[in-house]
Amino acid sequence: MTKLFTTTALLAALSLPAYAVEVAEGDTLAENQTYTYWLLDAIKSLDPAKNTDVEGSDVLRSLFEGLMNEDAAGNMIPGVAESHEISEDQLTYTFTLRDANWSNGDPVTAGDFVYAWQRVVNPETASEYAWYIELMNIENATQIIAGDATPDQLGVRAIDDKTLEVKLTTPTPYFLNTLSHATTYPVPQAVVEEHGDAWTQPANLVGNGAFTLASHNLGVDIVLNKNPEYWDADNVVMETVRGVTVNDNNVALTRYQAGELDRVQIPAGQFPRLKEEFPEQAVSVPYGCSYAYVMNVSDKGPEALKDVRVRQALALGLNREVIVDQVLQGGQEPSYSWTHWAINGFAAPEGGMKDMPMPERQEKAKELLAEAGYGPDNPLKLSLQYNTDDSHRLLAIAAQQFWRPLGIEIELNNVEWKVHTDRLQSQDFELARYAWCADYNEASTFLDWFRTDGYNSGKWSNEEYDQLLAEARTAEDTTPLYQRAEEILAEEAPAVFVYHYAKVDMINPAIKGLPRENLLNTWYAKDLYRAAE
Amino acid sequence: MIAFVLRRLAVAIPTLLLLIVFSFALMHLAPGGPFTAERALPPQVLANLEAKYGLNDPLWKQIWNYLYGIVVHFDFGPSFVYPDRTVNQLIAAGFPVTLTYGALSFVAAVVVGVSLGAVAAIRQNSWVDYLAVGISIGAQVLPNFVMAPLLVLVLTLWYGLLPGGGWSFSDPSFWIMPVIALATSYMASIARITRSAMLEVLGSNHIRTARAKGMPEHRVILRHALKPALLPVISYLGPVFVSMITGSVVIDIYFSTGGIGKAFVDSALNRDYAVMMGVTILVGSLTILFNLIVDVLYAWIDPKIRY
Repeated sequence: MTKLFTTTALLAALSLPAYAVEVAEGDTLAENQTYTYWLLDAIKSLDPAKNTDVEGSDVLRSLFEGLMNEDAAGNMIPGVAESHEISEDQLTYTFTLRDANWSNGDPVTAGDFVYAWQRVVNPETASEYAWYIELMNIENATQIIAGDATPDQLGVRAIDDKTLEVKLTTPTPYFLNTLSHATTYPVPQAVVEEHGDAWTQPANLVGNGAFTLASHNLGVDIVLNKNPEYWDADNVVMETVRGVTVNDNNVALTRYQAGELDRVQIPAGQFPRLKEEFPEQAVSVPYGCSYAYVMNVSDKGPEALKDVRVRQALALGLNREVIVDQVLQGGQEPSYSWTHWAINGFAAPEGGMKDMPMPERQEKAKELLAEAGYGPDNPLKLSLQYNTDDSHRLLAIAAQQFWRPLGIEIELNNVEWKVHTDRLQSQDFELARYAWCADYNEASTFLDWFRTDGYNSGKWSNEEYDQLLAEARTAEDTTPLYQRAEEILAEEAPAVFVYHYAKVDMINPAIKGLPRENLLNTWYAKDLYRAAE
Repeated sequence: MIAFVLRRLAVAIPTLLLLIVFSFALMHLAPGGPFTAERALPPQVLANLEAKYGLNDPLWKQIWNYLYGIVVHFDFGPSFVYPDRTVNQLIAAGFPVTLTYGALSFVAAVVVGVSLGAVAAIRQNSWVDYLAVGISIGAQVLPNFVMAPLLVLVLTLWYGLLPGGGWSFSDPSFWIMPVIALATSYMASIARITRSAMLEVLGSNHIRTARAKGMPEHRVILRHALKPALLPVISYLGPVFVSMITGSVVIDIYFSTGGIGKAFVDSALNRDYAVMMGVTILVGSLTILFNLIVDVLYAWIDPKIRY
């Protein structure tokens, strides 16, 4: 009964008109509808199956459109799928597609999605994001990636041109949330087959998004123009979108101030100054990533970290408030949970160390360390590994200072990015900096990381924890399960949680429609407009 | 002379081969690979990627296939990090940019540097000399990673004269700041080398003789002093030219030119093996070529040198 209700409710929500640009009262549109934004680096790929970057996804979201889009608050709204139905057992999703065209005028069909998804899992494509189709729990995805089944056995089929059926292996509460991700976008089979790897070049690329690719100078800029073939083109105001690569954040800020860019990230530590000087432009909003120092509790890790008292002491002794307020200074939040505080439907468990004043925490940490046999006379020596970056270095130095009075001597170990990740994945570290960003707006995207077979670089394992997350997959109310899971993380301290990210940007006030409440910062150029000044 | 050139070219081939083999092996020795990421890839996905790019072959076979591709098809392989592009395409897009601002910077550095150095030497210990020396010391101590953001601040933000970065082959306003930033410190070195070489030559016997027989001063300077004074400058210019046209990561980062300098550094950090090899081979070949050209120029300028 409840399931039936959910389905009906979703259907009702989906029959609402799609989100379109709403020009605010009092705003007149500027003559020049161009949005120019900053890219730290070159866009690596414009192939939805091969893109692995946030910046690439931002562009793909304009060039293509998936079954679902997100609104400014991150809620799922119809994209190419006009409506959908979910079967009683929650294993079959049937989508009805709207009349939409590719930029060359061909109709977008269910077959285009089938082709695109099969292409992602096809071992010949060697997609780095093939795991995303596994995350969606689509039937046979794992077997196809492993080469034990053929791509045409993937649990997705076109019933007719406008009806797409997807079969899952297990009920997946977040399934609909995965459908706005670039990996799930349709691709035009004929174009891909005609041009091979070169199909994403400006002269060849055909998409179904609100914009088309005008030019792409690697490492310089990428320019998109409005696509007249887009089904909702009448409601798209922006004419041109330009992503400009500036590899140095400070130079990018200078160029923003010179009026060359409409949006740029604020370099670390400069937010308070800019906020005071430009209160209208300096913006800090929660961003779905969490920062932590992961402890290696595997056989290859140091003996001391296998002792929960030592891990607790490390977690207690770190003054996150000082890190956030004095070092980062950009509206980040101190973290005592792994899941980002702003994740949809998530409430961190009450109590715990966040309610203890810092001196009390330090006393407790000293006691725990003494019990474990460490103290100022017999200091605990650990190395903290981080990858080359100024703010990682500053944070590591701060951590070193916070832990020193407890009798913990931290040796800072700065390595290059590839070495860092390689060592993390082969458990060749003691303490290591780590950050995880949400794939979708639901707590399991964080909590899955610490499952015994999750990414879990420190190889921590807890039976109850695994059990809770398995239960959460089909539970009606996940809150108590997730809260208990976070409690276990707090008790067991497999990592020291440091802070929850914020996205700290300068944004030209003339640019309207950029989402401020979307935790994953999923923005659509079709929703933007430039107001006259 | 021709025999000398041919001999040098013959030696270049094994040199390049050694360079390729060493770089290839060193690169593969570095921890991590092109697909090592924060999010570890599932083993099966990684296996598919390695199979696609031939990374699971033994190293000798990978080197062999790589060399075969270059020699037979002039194909430098695919980029692992830019999967939509081949190494040939990446170099074809980035190298012309680097070559343009590099060559312009070279010309600027040589013209300004040699003039400044020569004038300073001719008017030794006058205010002209002090000014020239002052400028070249100032230019030398101002590294380009300080100069570049300063230029953007002043010329773009304060005066709005030039675009703050980017690249266009049709609009020279994009070239100016990269050229200034890249040329300055080379210009300073060239000025100092020219000045000291010139001073030495001006004090030598043949200049005194030339003056004694009443030759006009401008002919003394241009014909008899400047030419021998340029010898040390030229030996400095060979490697400088190569390093200028093969890119500066600093220029590429601060001015977003899309040049090959940043691509090279990125490829090393990203373990984008094929791109790194491609640029290494390009830089290696150009270095060998320009060292040869410098040697030939030597013989032309200084008739005492015989090969």
